[in-house]
Amino acid sequence: MDWEPKIVAFLCNWCSYAGADLAGVSRFQYPPNIRIIRVPCSGRVSANMILSALRSGADGVLVSGCHPGDCHYISGNLHARRRFSVLKNFLEFLGIEPGRLNFSWVSASEGEQFATVVREVTERVKALGPATRLVKRIEA
Amino acid sequence: MPMKIRINDHQLIQWIQGLITKFQVFYPLQDANSGVVHIQKATGSLNSDAILKPVSGVPKTSIKTFFMPQPEVIARFSIAAQDAEAFVLKEPGTALQTQVLLNIRPCDARSVALNSMPYAEDPYFQKMLKRTVIIGRPCDETCSTCFCELVGGSPHGTEGMDLVILKTEDGLALEVLTQKGADFLKQNPCAESAGLQPTPQQQGGQELPIVAREMQKKDLLALYNASFWPQIAEACINCGACTFLCPTCYCFDIQDEVAGTKGVRLRYWDSCMFPLFTLHASGHNPRGQKVQRVRNRFMHKFKYFPDRFGPVSCVGCGRCVKDCPVNIDIREVISLMQAV
Amino acid sequence: MTVKHAELTQEIQRQAKELLASGEVAAFLGFSAGSLPMTTRPFVARTPQEAERLVWNSFCTVNLANYLPALLKSLEPPRSPKDPPPTGPLPKVGVLATGCWSRNIVVQIQENQVDRSRLVILGVPSRGMVDRKKVLAALQGKEVLEAQEDDHSLRLKGKWGETELSRWAVVRDNCQSCRHPNPVLFDRLLDAASERQAQAPFSQIEAIEAMSSDERWQWFQQAFASCIRCYACRNACPLCYCSTCFVDDNRPQWVGKALNAPDVLTFHILRAFHCAGRCTDCGACESVCPMGIKVRLLTQKLSKDILTLFGAEAGMDVSVPPPFTTYAPSDQNPFECDTCSSKGKKE
Repeated sequence: MDWEPKIVAFLCNWCSYAGADLAGVSRFQYPPNIRIIRVPCSGRVSANMILSALRSGADGVLVSGCHPGDCHYISGNLHARRRFSVLKNFLEFLGIEPGRLNFSWVSASEGEQFATVVREVTERVKALGPATRLVKRIEA
Repeated sequence: MPMKIRINDHQLIQWIQGLITKFQVFYPLQDANSGVVHIQKATGSLNSDAILKPVSGVPKTSIKTFFMPQPEVIARFSIAAQDAEAFVLKEPGTALQTQVLLNIRPCDARSVALNSMPYAEDPYFQKMLKRTVIIGRPCDETCSTCFCELVGGSPHGTEGMDLVILKTEDGLALEVLTQKGADFLKQNPCAESAGLQPTPQQQGGQELPIVAREMQKKDLLALYNASFWPQIAEACINCGACTFLCPTCYCFDIQDEVAGTKGVRLRYWDSCMFPLFTLHASGHNPRGQKVQRVRNRFMHKFKYFPDRFGPVSCVGCGRCVKDCPVNIDIREVISLMQAV
Repeated sequence: MTVKHAELTQEIQRQAKELLASGEVAAFLGFSAGSLPMTTRPFVARTPQEAERLVWNSFCTVNLANYLPALLKSLEPPRSPKDPPPTGPLPKVGVLATGCWSRNIVVQIQENQVDRSRLVILGVPSRGMVDRKKVLAALQGKEVLEAQEDDHSLRLKGKWGETELSRWAVVRDNCQSCRHPNPVLFDRLLDAASERQAQAPFSQIEAIEAMSSDERWQWFQQAFASCIRCYACRNACPLCYCSTCFVDDNRPQWVGKALNAPDVLTFHILRAFHCAGRCTDCGACESVCPMGIKVRLLTQKLSKDILTLFGAEAGMDVSVPPPFTTYAPSDQNPFECDTCSSKGKKE
């Protein structure tokens, strides 16, 4: 089948976004399925935003931030870590397939690792098939 | 017309089974686990007992969903750049099948007649009304929370019904009440035993009940400024339970929803209990305080509506009494209003 | 009513009258008798005479903490938004608090929604509140016209006759799995502490966790299929006090307002998640739901994970920061990818 997943990626401006940029500059190849949204910090990403992505039809969501201890805002990613471990368990509890929601830490110098993360996440989401749960469709 | 025919249990079940093959039929059924009554779609495996001897107890939700579906698509449109007809509102386009509501209590049937007053020119409501046949059933038993007679109804009322299933000394009878009911029965005949004398026309609707007449006479400002509203409103949590379960609450909101290049204009139920109900674009909110909203609901049902249309906008089904989370009892409010 | 509840009702009336008569509180928040069997209604007494209407029994299911912020504000002298906050002591409010409600008050204090110095809390260890929907189910929908409760049973009468039910069997789910029946914050304690401790408080959650992903999705859809978006659950919850709920945001619009399954489910997911780490399992959301949805199963899953992962419980101690306002270096990274960059590092 020709279906390619669409993955929304929330990348923190200081680390992960820069890491993605480095991947591009260094010509590390990674699948083009991600749609990047730049946020100031992974701690800014709320459950509302993640649900919004799923509701809009995203087949997968990736949230990536600075490594714990390296947050530009000191503790933003530490709050995010707590919040997202609970959210991930919660959504899986409610029947959202494991693997739709992904989190990673990628620093600004880790271009190759970013490419690896995206490759893995894309494979994982592709194996799950198109998202149908929680997707809002308009019958018009 | 009017026409009354005698039928036995078997004939009634056969008739209903025939209707199910042609139309969507809904009737109240009791859930075995929870004891709650819901109006559900009839399937091939009909619960004959529930048809012959209607479940006792008011169904959890009213029948207004059949006339005002939640949500209701009232228009559709495309916003695709290359579409020549982009941004043009089009009809929803779904062909509407006849729906039959069976074993409907007099209060719920009456609510349709009451809602038709403000919705006399609402094309969507009228379309739903035209395609719906209500087969009513008088109440054998009433609940302690029922108060239909106080507000102008009756456990034996037939207002709003197209057909009614009655108990006679020796079985059941099916009586035609409206032209729609007569046409429906003609197109979907029921095996009948014999014709009977039709019951005399119900007087309901011609003389207003005491509550409505009293309320019309009362001074609006005296009711509005009465001192008991803050005390009534204190426990209210401004949820929408009363308004959404109420058969005669009919307010709605309209919103467009878009996904990709397609969109729909939706109509969905709104509640005067919600703070956003009267929020103006300027930010001003004439009913920003809880007590104003609570007062408004009762004033609308028992003063503004009778002033405008005649009857009170309440059928006495008691759903709000049973399901208000904080036990605000509309019967108590009516007494307080009557005493002003 | 039971001997215990009769005693407590007398004691509550006595103390409320005393507090109101002396002027120590300007208002006392409790319950008065309802207009239906097995029902009470939240009630604010403002005079010693009104205090005689206060009752206490097994049907006090609404969380009183929900009313505190608005009640406290209503007792302040009226002022416009531009005026400075009033100086000097403001009128106080007396309130009843069981274990879970007192924990909600702790959370409200931590979140600056109520001022501790303006509260006089009368703590009442709870014996568990009865769930009217369970009684209805036990009677297969027959209407109750009269209800009498004894210490361990409910005697119910209707047009159909009489019957007796075990009280504990119809006590609410959250009360049956309660581990904190005693108030954690109070000025006066009205009764001896309860020793009741639920043995398997998360058994319902574990049952769902044991299902497969597809089965859980089926369960979730069916459980919320009858939701009518009345927001009784949200409005009864003391944690939901946002002046603009996310449901009413329209730029961006997080969730649609109509009865579409993705919207209904998203609403419940986000509402529960917004209560994560703050919910005390008071059960008000489930008690007020007109459709009988087991709303608290969502918040209970969150409470279970937060207890397991961070050892935190909402509202137990006003000096302990709520779990989502803090972090610990030892927090797990349970969501690392297989070749995630931090694997192999010192972290």
